[in-house]
Amino acid sequence: MLRASCQLLTQTALPAGKSGGSGFALEFVRWRRKPRWLPVAKSKMFRVPERKKQSEEERTELMRLHNQYKTQLRSVRQFLREEVVRHEETSTADHIVLTPEQEEAEFLKCVDINATWNAKIAKERDQRLAKEREDKVAYVQERLEARQLREEERREQANLRVLREIESSKTFITRENLDAAIETALANPVDHNFAIDLAGNLYRGRNSSQVPDSTPSSNQHALSN
Amino acid sequence: MSQKVIKYFGRTTDFRGNTLWELVSELPNWGVGRMLIRNMFQRYPEPCYMRILKVQAVDEQPGEERKVRVTVEKTWRGVTQPKPVEIYSTSYKADYELVPQDEEAKYLNNNKKVEEVVLPTLIDLPPLLREFVTEETGNSNPQMKVHFKRTHNKLARLAKDGEKPSVSFGVGLGQPKPVSAKLYEGLL
Repeated sequence: MLRASCQLLTQTALPAGKSGGSGFALEFVRWRRKPRWLPVAKSKMFRVPERKKQSEEERTELMRLHNQYKTQLRSVRQFLREEVVRHEETSTADHIVLTPEQEEAEFLKCVDINATWNAKIAKERDQRLAKEREDKVAYVQERLEARQLREEERREQANLRVLREIESSKTFITRENLDAAIETALANPVDHNFAIDLAGNLYRGRNSSQVPDSTPSSNQHALSN
Repeated sequence: MSQKVIKYFGRTTDFRGNTLWELVSELPNWGVGRMLIRNMFQRYPEPCYMRILKVQAVDEQPGEERKVRVTVEKTWRGVTQPKPVEIYSTSYKADYELVPQDEEAKYLNNNKKVEEVVLPTLIDLPPLLREFVTEETGNSNPQMKVHFKRTHNKLARLAKDGEKPSVSFGVGLGQPKPVSAKLYEGLL
């Protein structure tokens, strides 16, 4: 897999002229490397890298050169940093020195401008608040009226319902007329077991000749109870 | 019976000793008041040792050497640091050693001090920068201040007025120390 991918790499990465033309079987293996995620090669697994000893004189000399270099570099950076600060202090408009009177005048001018701005904004704010208050009042009024209307409607609906109940209560079976109702029901047995064909002919049931349509009200009441 | 030969293999290390937890966990009262050394610092002729002031145990983490939080009074190259130092992140290193109480005198009586390094206050600018500054200011030999930050364990200091600095910061190679003069034989 590794070899194949590397061939692909050499083919794509290097132009044809570099690989020596078609006549030579020249293959570049320069960029071939084990991918980082593969484990240590078997041949390298027990290799112990050699630790090279630095001699005392070499170590001392390298340390001296390092110290010297670092000190010089830090000094140069400090020098440049200080120069930038100095340049900023002397060249920008922020550092023009004013006399106390000028400063006072400048300050008063600023206060004046600020006061004008404040007055203008206060006027706008008052207008806005008044308008908001009016809107609010109108909105509340509207809601109150709507509520009243809703309430009236509800009351009316309730009244209608009560009247309807009173009307229908006349046909209720009570304790007094219970016996009469039972007798009526027994005397008039209703047979729902009939059929109608397409021509409208009625085929009655076997047991009774009574059809529910003939006495609809009394039968329905009897059934519902 | 022949002598048993121990053959070592694998990478070598410069550490010698135990981790801090191995030392401290065995001692009565966690070894407070005892003297410790880092073997790595015994390369210096000046005394380097630590004295335990406080120990806080830390839970063991799986797959790691156990660490411990130890506050010590540290002496490094003959300079005792003014504030106690906390050792935590380096406590796993197997380089600590406990000094037996009858041998503490060896470290306490070692009065060697580091040779003082006196830095110059002003040094030359690098060549190109010097040319620029000369052109801009007209000063033929501009110099810059040496960067120096004062810390409690710094072994160098800036030269006072009229004092001769012990190191020179030329633009060139400078003067090698006598130990390493051999490296430049026939060159300088």
